[in-house]
Amino acid sequence: MINLVDPLKIASNSIVANRTRSFLTMLGVIIGVAAVITLVSMGEGAKSYILSQVGSWGVGSNSITVQPGQENSHTIELNLTYEDAQALRQKVGNLQYLMTEFIGRGRVNYGQKEYKPGYTLGVSADYPYAYKQKAIEGRFFSTAEDAGRKRVTVIGKTVARNIFGEFSPIGENIKINGTGFKVIGLLEEKGSLLTFDMDDMVLIPSTLSELVLRTNKIWEMFITVYDEKQVPEAIKEIKNILTTRHRKEDFHIHTQQGIIDIVNNILNAMTGIVSAIAAISLLVGGIGIMNIMLVAVTERTREIGIRKAIGAKQRDIFLQFVAESILITMSGAVIGIIIGTLAATGIMFALKLQAVIAWGAVYLACLVAFLVGTFFGVYPAMRAARLDPVEALRFEV
Amino acid sequence: MSSELNQTVVRVSNVKRIYQMGSVEVHALRGIDLSIARGEFVSIMGPSGCGKSTLMHIIGCLDRPSFGHVHLDEVDIDELDDNSLAEIRNKKVGFVFQTFNLLPKLNAVENVELPLIYAGKGFDQRREKAAELLTIVGLKERMDHKPSELSGGQSQRVAIARALANNPSIILADEPTGNLDSKSGEEIIHLFKELNKKGITLIIVTHDEEIASHSQRIIRLKDGLIVADEPVK
Repeated sequence: MINLVDPLKIASNSIVANRTRSFLTMLGVIIGVAAVITLVSMGEGAKSYILSQVGSWGVGSNSITVQPGQENSHTIELNLTYEDAQALRQKVGNLQYLMTEFIGRGRVNYGQKEYKPGYTLGVSADYPYAYKQKAIEGRFFSTAEDAGRKRVTVIGKTVARNIFGEFSPIGENIKINGTGFKVIGLLEEKGSLLTFDMDDMVLIPSTLSELVLRTNKIWEMFITVYDEKQVPEAIKEIKNILTTRHRKEDFHIHTQQGIIDIVNNILNAMTGIVSAIAAISLLVGGIGIMNIMLVAVTERTREIGIRKAIGAKQRDIFLQFVAESILITMSGAVIGIIIGTLAATGIMFALKLQAVIAWGAVYLACLVAFLVGTFFGVYPAMRAARLDPVEALRFEV
Repeated sequence: MSSELNQTVVRVSNVKRIYQMGSVEVHALRGIDLSIARGEFVSIMGPSGCGKSTLMHIIGCLDRPSFGHVHLDEVDIDELDDNSLAEIRNKKVGFVFQTFNLLPKLNAVENVELPLIYAGKGFDQRREKAAELLTIVGLKERMDHKPSELSGGQSQRVAIARALANNPSIILADEPTGNLDSKSGEEIIHLFKELNKKGITLIIVTHDEEIASHSQRIIRLKDGLIVADEPVK
């Protein structure tokens, strides 16, 4: 059993004795580790924020979005119709919800008050289930009401606050683009997704879109299936049905997983770049450490001679210097982790977001620091261990 | 005790030491034969460059002879590898140097503990032993002083305590009073004599006749050879 306590104690004493130099030597490692921890923690925070937003807005991985126009085309031709939606409703197996969404400009009037909501949408009765956004007051309209073109509306909190203030909007009659509607529900608060206020919204039955919003073209269809495993099959069916009806593939399909994949890809690319920079920083830091350790071996030649004269074996001297090198890099890593975590938390706090401590990166930083310390410490330590004791004792600084 | 007293601790047989200094061969030792018995107090004398330090390094297992054999406690050190030599230096030899060679960042007790660390002793055991040795050399009150806070004489006492740490077979002292004023030097010699009375084998390298006169036997070297080996009257 090799005694590691004493080499570590000797090494830490020597690091403390040369505080300034030790700190400057650590700097490369500190900067590298701090940069990685900061950016990865921010990235993880951003990712969990985006995913929670996406997740709370849409549903989980069992959802499919169908949008008109070809993917990446600059002009969008709105060519999905109510009839297309009905066809999918009838023919797609495992279909749980299908929510059609028509979008238009709205103007809401209530007595003397006028308000222009951010979004006025014609939606089907599946909306609260598909988007997991219920009415917290009143109720949502039913499929029968949608099919029967009933003039009922459900509004978001921002709209309600602007028109009704603190009073309940339920049962009130408003005009949307001049058409009279009865408010039957108040939507649960969603907050904002990125910069969009998701509560600044008025929902009307999809069948009234043509009358009120002057559009009969679907902006988006939001489909869910019962299980995420059924998603690929459902996508195939949707493509077949719509391509048959349109005689071409003039629409595109997104999945929740696709959005998550994009977020992950961006963040992974960012992490990769940061890691590459950090690797260079650690390499340069490591070379700096080796350099300083070589200086330390020369400076302490006499100490090495004395230690050998009183019985230190090559192994003892070797361990002492490798321990010193590893302690320097590990201390650098710990300081870097603390700085990185504080920096990430600070920056994310300023952005009103939450940093997520990237434990994977923390462990990896410690491991890499240990390896850098070992790798760059071995050569100087070997030089120290192999010094001839008589010559080392004769050495004058 | 008497049988032990006559036991040979050091036996040097036809030892030569040749250094290669660039293209020149330096013959530091040209064939040394001597033996030292347990409990002896021997001085090795000679002018600078006569090889006395080289001889001391070879006896102390810091260096190896180019030719010949050295037996320490009847063990031929030629047959040992570097690690085994380190172990012998640790357990059987105690060095005392002219410049004390204490580690400046450690205090007195930590300096004395060093050989005990390399002997694998635990913290409590070595702290106790180091304190005991510092008491013997008269530095009980100075245990937590750094070498820079100690006088030359006190530093050399710490070095002697360190040399005694693992109960060595011999103490090798290279000009132990060379850096001390005469009063401190006398005190150190007095301490050596006390230790010798307790049975410790002592070899002192010096060029000071006064110091050598305290020993029992003087070996004189010149140009790498023994020119005289006689008891002190």
